[in-house]
Amino acid sequence: MSALLQIENLQVTFNTRHGQVTALDSVSLSVNAGETLGVVGESGCGKSITALSVMGLIPMPPGRIAGGSIKLNGEELVGASDARLRGLRGSEVAMIFQEPMTSLNPVFSIGDQIAEAIMLHQNVSYDQAFKDAVALLDRVGIPSPDRRARDYPHQLSGGMRQRVMIAMAVSCRPKVLIADEPTTALDVTVQAQIFDLLNEIQRDFGAAIMLITHDMGAISEMADRVAVMYAGRVIEEASADQVLDTPQHPYARGLIDCIPALGKQETELREIPGVVPPLHMLGQGCAFKARCAHARPRCGTEKPLLRSHGAHPVACHGAEEGWL
Amino acid sequence: MSNSYILKRVAYGLILMLCVVVLNFLLIRLAPGDPAVVIAGEMGGATEEMLEQIREEYGLNKPILTQLAIYIGNVATGDLGESFFFNKPVAELISQRIGPTILLVIVAQILSIFLGVFLGVLAARKPNGVMSAFVSVFATIGYAVPVFWTGIMLIILFASVLPIFPVEGMQSVRLRDAPWYVQTIDVAHHLVLPAFTLAVIYLAQYARLSRASMLEVLGSDYIRTARAKGASERTVLFHHALRNAALPILTVAGLQFGNLISGALLVETVFNWPGMGRLAFDSILRRDYPTIMGVLFFASAMVVVANLLTDLSYRLADPRLRGRT
Ligand SMILES: Nc1ncnc2c1ncn2[C@@H]1O[C@H](COP(=O)(O)OP(=O)(O)OP(=O)(O)O)[C@@H](O)[C@H]1O
Ligand code: SF4
Ligand SMILES: [Mg+2]
Repeated sequence: MSALLQIENLQVTFNTRHGQVTALDSVSLSVNAGETLGVVGESGCGKSITALSVMGLIPMPPGRIAGGSIKLNGEELVGASDARLRGLRGSEVAMIFQEPMTSLNPVFSIGDQIAEAIMLHQNVSYDQAFKDAVALLDRVGIPSPDRRARDYPHQLSGGMRQRVMIAMAVSCRPKVLIADEPTTALDVTVQAQIFDLLNEIQRDFGAAIMLITHDMGAISEMADRVAVMYAGRVIEEASADQVLDTPQHPYARGLIDCIPALGKQETELREIPGVVPPLHMLGQGCAFKARCAHARPRCGTEKPLLRSHGAHPVACHGAEEGWL
Repeated sequence: MSNSYILKRVAYGLILMLCVVVLNFLLIRLAPGDPAVVIAGEMGGATEEMLEQIREEYGLNKPILTQLAIYIGNVATGDLGESFFFNKPVAELISQRIGPTILLVIVAQILSIFLGVFLGVLAARKPNGVMSAFVSVFATIGYAVPVFWTGIMLIILFASVLPIFPVEGMQSVRLRDAPWYVQTIDVAHHLVLPAFTLAVIYLAQYARLSRASMLEVLGSDYIRTARAKGASERTVLFHHALRNAALPILTVAGLQFGNLISGALLVETVFNWPGMGRLAFDSILRRDYPTIMGVLFFASAMVVVANLLTDLSYRLADPRLRGRT
């Protein structure tokens, strides 16, 4: 059986002043119905671009889907008509963004904004849609929702706004919900509440979730499977337990090592040394080579591909040849 | 919107009007010569009897503060003095002419805002497209070229080359007794050139402003959210983006209203439009001070009212400003 959302060899390029850069390089991912796929990786590795590709929201120009396929329920989205994509957006696939403070339109009430999402895909009156919006606000834990529905975004806190975004995203019961770092901009206490809410929503609405995050704690709690991305490529993919317990790729190991151990007082946050090379300076071979303690000559000349070498799929020559 | 805020704005407006009245008062005192002669007007050929009457009416023999109080009292009761050139109360002169001016100014304002914003939105859709380039060039030309030049060019074009619009006046004499709808169409027909001439400078500015404003708004996160909901491109542009981009446009529209009124003065003169502008122009040439002051008073009143309306509409448009004082 094929997956609900199947991304294969997705290639996305951007025209920049450094010439054309490849933001996504043959990215393959799949999300099954009812499952949560965690996507992790450093800033700039292409997580949001992957999500936006699924939504059909890559800014074109300068962006371009140069190849590959995205199938939702077997239907090809790459090259689908604008009208068809509009019909799917918000109804079959919905997205929650990283920036709750700025993702709601400041001049419309939150009830109206949710009602609009409902009316775009369902044949209901405004009054009915507004009532549904109030019910959704109640569902995502907004107190006195019928009064709050008439509030404007600036009257709500960041956590509340993210709840509104979640209510809007699930208003048409999408099959796939993409949450792009939904808690990055929020307080730590609020972060836990939002993840709890996402869990509940998934249980009630049965949506598959693609959870993009830096938060490995959230991954261990929420995700069934994890894809680790680096510089526009998926470099390791496995069940959450496998990735967390036995990460293969040196980068994934670094990421896991950076999780502060529970209960232990860390004096400073550990980090992987070095930075992600800019996309226009990737060159040949493995994109991680400059930061990798295990790099060998082959890493400088040949791009490692995502393959299973015993355990689970990983893109690393060292894992393949067993020199790690 | 809070009532106290509205009251506060109205109070500001009234204070501003009071300042205009005091300025008018000082204008007469600062003019060289006997104030009574100044008020009578140099073209009036005032008799001693007339001057005496003026001194009586304005209390010119009394202390200056009493004179000011009398003057303010007169204005407050709608008495703007008398034009000795027309031999008529100034209030009556203006009430006959304020209608055409308001008509011209409002039509020009609407024309420039709507057309300008429409062009700006189209340009913002494709920032590197032909429309965008056109708006930039047009905005520069519209801004640089003086009104009277545009007016005269249009007169030449429509008087001789393509005579489809009248180039003078507000009504055709032969239609004075026609039914009201014929007269309305006639006035609209006469309005085309003056309104367009007046609109064209501001139109270009609105186009440029709304292009910039739209470009900024279109990059916002909430526009991406609107697209993510599945909203059509038209809804995104005209519903989600324009409502936000309209805020700076509204501000400028309010600020421009004063300029528009002074622009109307020139346009009315060029097209012989029977409004306050022509009256002001003629009165300045005749040094008919009471009339000049009356026009000044009404023009400032119009600006004050326009700014008040802008302020209120700004609050309506932007919920973040509501409830603030
Ligand atoms: N409009 C654009 N023009 C040019 N390059 C872009 C554009 N948008 C994204 N990119 C490039 O695509 C790459 C991936 O960006 P993306 O936003 O997907 O990163 P991310 O993994 O979501 O990072 P973060 O964790 O910071 O959100 C970046 O390196 C960026 O330089
Ligand atoms: S391919 Fe080489 S450089 Fe890249 S992660 Fe593996 S060992 Fe390190
Ligand atoms: Mg991102």
